[in-house]
Amino acid sequence: MTNPEAEIRIPRFDAYERVMHWMAALSFFYATLTGLALWSPKLYWMATMLGGGYHIRGSHPWVGIVFAVVMGVMARRWAKGMRLDADDRVWLTRMHKYATHDHAALPPSGRFNAGQKMLFWTQLAATLALFLSGFVLWFPEWMPRSLRLLSIAAHPLAAIGSITSILVHVYMGTAAVPHSMRAMLRGYVLPEWARFHHPKWYKTWRASNDV
Amino acid sequence: MIVAKLIDTTLCIGCKACEVACQEWNDQEYTMGTFDGSYQTKPELEYNFWNLIKFNEVEKDGATSWLMSKYQCMHCADAGCLAACPAPGAIVPLANGTIDFVHENCIGCGYCITGCPFDVPRLSPTSKKAYKCTLCSDRTAVGLEPACIKTCPTNCLTFGERDELLRMAETRAGELKADGFADAGVYNPQGVGGTNVLYVLKHASEPEQYGLPKDPVIPWTVSLWKGPMKWMGTFMFWGTVLGAFFHFVIYGPQDPEKHGHPADKAEAPPKEPNDKS
Repeated sequence: MTNPEAEIRIPRFDAYERVMHWMAALSFFYATLTGLALWSPKLYWMATMLGGGYHIRGSHPWVGIVFAVVMGVMARRWAKGMRLDADDRVWLTRMHKYATHDHAALPPSGRFNAGQKMLFWTQLAATLALFLSGFVLWFPEWMPRSLRLLSIAAHPLAAIGSITSILVHVYMGTAAVPHSMRAMLRGYVLPEWARFHHPKWYKTWRASNDV
Repeated sequence: MIVAKLIDTTLCIGCKACEVACQEWNDQEYTMGTFDGSYQTKPELEYNFWNLIKFNEVEKDGATSWLMSKYQCMHCADAGCLAACPAPGAIVPLANGTIDFVHENCIGCGYCITGCPFDVPRLSPTSKKAYKCTLCSDRTAVGLEPACIKTCPTNCLTFGERDELLRMAETRAGELKADGFADAGVYNPQGVGGTNVLYVLKHASEPEQYGLPKDPVIPWTVSLWKGPMKWMGTFMFWGTVLGAFFHFVIYGPQDPEKHGHPADKAEAPPKEPNDKS
């Protein structure tokens, strides 16, 4: 006798979305390490580890471009599904219930919950700020001084917001929500997981799949 | 001992010998610029041209005067380039007050250009590293005066102990005042903690006429980044990491078996699958 749960696999992220996500993750990781190295002398050892300051000054902007492009692709794919609905707005006011595992007090989520949607929009805004200010900082000789002065503060500020929200994202995707990593690595989730975390999405799947 | 350069702009005759001496001592090739109708050698400093005599033509009281000024790194006590530099050891303040660039540590980001309120450093188009006047640190280290000072034929330039030069500058400004230049004074901007390049100006209340900024300071965005923003970032990164860790310690992972389902319960999954896709 087989375990029924192991047999039903609900596809959650297709290969396109998984590659997109992990390209964003890897480029973000590299840009974060090199960015932190240039942010504080105390973290400059990261630059040494990654090939030296002169090298990372060259590579950080290029990797940043890769990240920005992938975020653009991600926005094309996901932006529509990331709009907040009425349930999401209620969900956001009860975020503390989510954090304390009082799930009965929460309105049901769709394919993405309101927290994931907020992360998406935060990252998209931060990416735009990082891209624009980063472009200015890339070519100091050609940029007007006023823009450089603005960017020298805006770039780290956007990065702090972005890195902080990604730290939360990593915690949620690993320790806090078991089995969510499988969705992004292998592409599928199990019915019980879908029903608990994304009830409305699960319902839609049930409706169109005869199980 | 803090050393300094004193530039008495009233004695400059625009001979440009200091420009030549700078190029010679630092072994820099002269790259041709464009002729723009000025006696000035170049419109701006360049990565391989660190000392520029500015020929400022100023209309004043119905007469045209030529206000000479020698433009180079000011060797600020509170240096904006150093504040903005992200590469440890690339910009080094020497014990004698010189701000020196160490090129093997320079990463070529150009932040020093943004941090400098005098717009002095320049990036080399080939190495992409930043260059500027070294106050001839390779000469002063062995007791010689900088090349520009050594060559100046009019004693417009003086090198020595900073306090003594400041006294000399004040004396000279007093002489100019006695000669009828009521606005004469010393340029030693306090916004950057004072500079180790001092000027005597006939029109001290209008340094812009000499091509010098009126009240140079380290840009506040640089101070914000290097000051409060570091604390904020450190607080947020560690706060989030520790917050996540203790959240896990207190509440543990989310568990469908234990934590109750969201309000609108969906149908339970089937016990037996008939979908093998």
